[in-house]
Amino acid sequence: MKSRFALTLLSLWAVLTLNFLLPRWLPGDPLAALLDPDSSSYVYNAEVRGALEAYYGLDRPLGEQYAGYLTGALSGDLGRSIRLNQPVTDLLREHLPWTLLLTLSALIAASLLGVIAGSEAAWRRRSPVDRALVVVSVVASNAPVFFTGMILLILFGVELRWLPLAGGRTPFARYDNTLAQVRDYGAHLLLPALTLTLALVGSKFLLVRNSVIGVLGEDFMLVARAKGLPPRRLKRNHALRNAIVPFVHHLAAHAAFAITGALFIETLFQYPGMGRLIFESVVARDYPVIQGVFLVVSVLVLGANLLADWLTARLDPRTQEN
Amino acid sequence: MQITLPQAARAVRRPHAPAAIRRLAASLGGEGVIGLALLGAFAIVGIAAPLLAPYDPADFSGAPLERPSAGHRLGTNDVGQDILSELIVGARISLAVAIGAAGGAVLLGLLVGGVAGYAGGWLDTALMRLVDVMMALPQLPLLILVTALLGAGLGQMALVFAALFWPGMARVIRAQVLSLRRRGYVAQARSFGAGPVYILRRHILPAIGPLIVFGLVTAAGRAVVFEAGLAFLGLGDPTAKSWGLMMRYALNLPGLLLTDRWLWWLLPPGLCITLLILALNLLGIGLENHLDPRLKRP
Repeated sequence: MKSRFALTLLSLWAVLTLNFLLPRWLPGDPLAALLDPDSSSYVYNAEVRGALEAYYGLDRPLGEQYAGYLTGALSGDLGRSIRLNQPVTDLLREHLPWTLLLTLSALIAASLLGVIAGSEAAWRRRSPVDRALVVVSVVASNAPVFFTGMILLILFGVELRWLPLAGGRTPFARYDNTLAQVRDYGAHLLLPALTLTLALVGSKFLLVRNSVIGVLGEDFMLVARAKGLPPRRLKRNHALRNAIVPFVHHLAAHAAFAITGALFIETLFQYPGMGRLIFESVVARDYPVIQGVFLVVSVLVLGANLLADWLTARLDPRTQEN
Repeated sequence: MQITLPQAARAVRRPHAPAAIRRLAASLGGEGVIGLALLGAFAIVGIAAPLLAPYDPADFSGAPLERPSAGHRLGTNDVGQDILSELIVGARISLAVAIGAAGGAVLLGLLVGGVAGYAGGWLDTALMRLVDVMMALPQLPLLILVTALLGAGLGQMALVFAALFWPGMARVIRAQVLSLRRRGYVAQARSFGAGPVYILRRHILPAIGPLIVFGLVTAAGRAVVFEAGLAFLGLGDPTAKSWGLMMRYALNLPGLLLTDRWLWWLLPPGLCITLLILALNLLGIGLENHLDPRLKRP
């Protein structure tokens, strides 16, 4: 566990350093074009150029810039958005809750569905239902999320007109009570969350199904059955328990995949989360914001992985030894 | 055991199916064979694209936004280019990026994994920590940042993918190198006077060959996913009309989803991406079984 913690810190440092170095290494920074003699938008006036460099701190030695960047980032200063002229931290704070709402609700829904369908399919393996579920889950987890989302959008948003097409809430809506507000947010959340759930549920389903099938032939299952335990207890307390450790590990490790999926889905549904923010920033080449999103998503993913390791160690003492 | 008639008849009917192919099919299993067949179909379409495509996809061969007809089986896009031709030529782009990225990732993985496994010591530790860190980073945001800064030619994209995908391969190769060294039959063969070419062909390649194929397939699958995703986000190579970029352009047309145009403009590239990813992943599952029969799914 100690080594996992060290690895997380090391990775976090790597993220911060990449964030600092990549724009300085790679071409394409809007500021670099102004300072590069070969570029068409080179600033010929040396005084203006110097002032620009000094304003952004680019005239100082790289080590000093790095130290300044690190202290700034660690105290929550991630620079200002070029497009909106707002602190990046404020933008992130505004968009992060939406992404967390979408990701967490999809992860919860996919976990519930995966566990229920997976254990049922394992008990009826090789039945038509089981086979159909396996095929559907393989296909659903392979389709790109923006494609699945598009199909759902057309089906439920356009053809059936059951659900709103885009956004996180009705624009300019005034809510009479909390219930109306929750209903509006929920209606807007449903399609994006359903899309993400479909993308996530396949691998969870297969994992639970295979773990349960793996223990069906074990002696303790035979004993439990011989004791005359009702099938419900057999499934829940004996078969499913064995799937918990791999499932928990998978769940948190899957967070990275879920957040990645959410970024695409938010772009498609114009959901006001981090994905929408990164998409708009990419279009405007608003680098400080892209870097900020990279940093925050990295922290989320690293945190989820650490949580996975901690939970696995707590649930299964055998893994603590190595 | 008595051979029943249908068995004998089946054996007679396919006397020429080479044993190697039959064995491969048997060990790949149903998933692997389906994946291989699908991938083969895409490869053929990609290679023969100029012959198969009815028009040059860059040509303005029709009026804008034509509906499907005998002349344009999938209609035309908003500037009058033939959608079917775009789709066929698009296979090339996905496959080219996949091949470049997978090849690069596997080469890098072989290099780093081989060095770490052979050298051992502090170099091994340092390289493996690097692998750990790289595998912990979230790839999509990193890719978005890098492609936004670097600009996205197809070659650059393949290089960036390769630079991101090698750690998994390196870890597997290192483990295999360590196990080869521990078992010592390579050292023994060398002590009997076997040359380096013989050892490579007889001992090393059979041990890591399947791992290389598996690494190629999984890296290719991820490359297809990410290429489509980046193109969809508008970060792809704007001069190479890939399937993801087709979808991006289609969605840029206001109100596209409100007409039935998405049926022939949006659905086909989406299905193609899905099928190609599915093919590579199914082949990956088949190869996994082939590598380790114990993993075979119940």
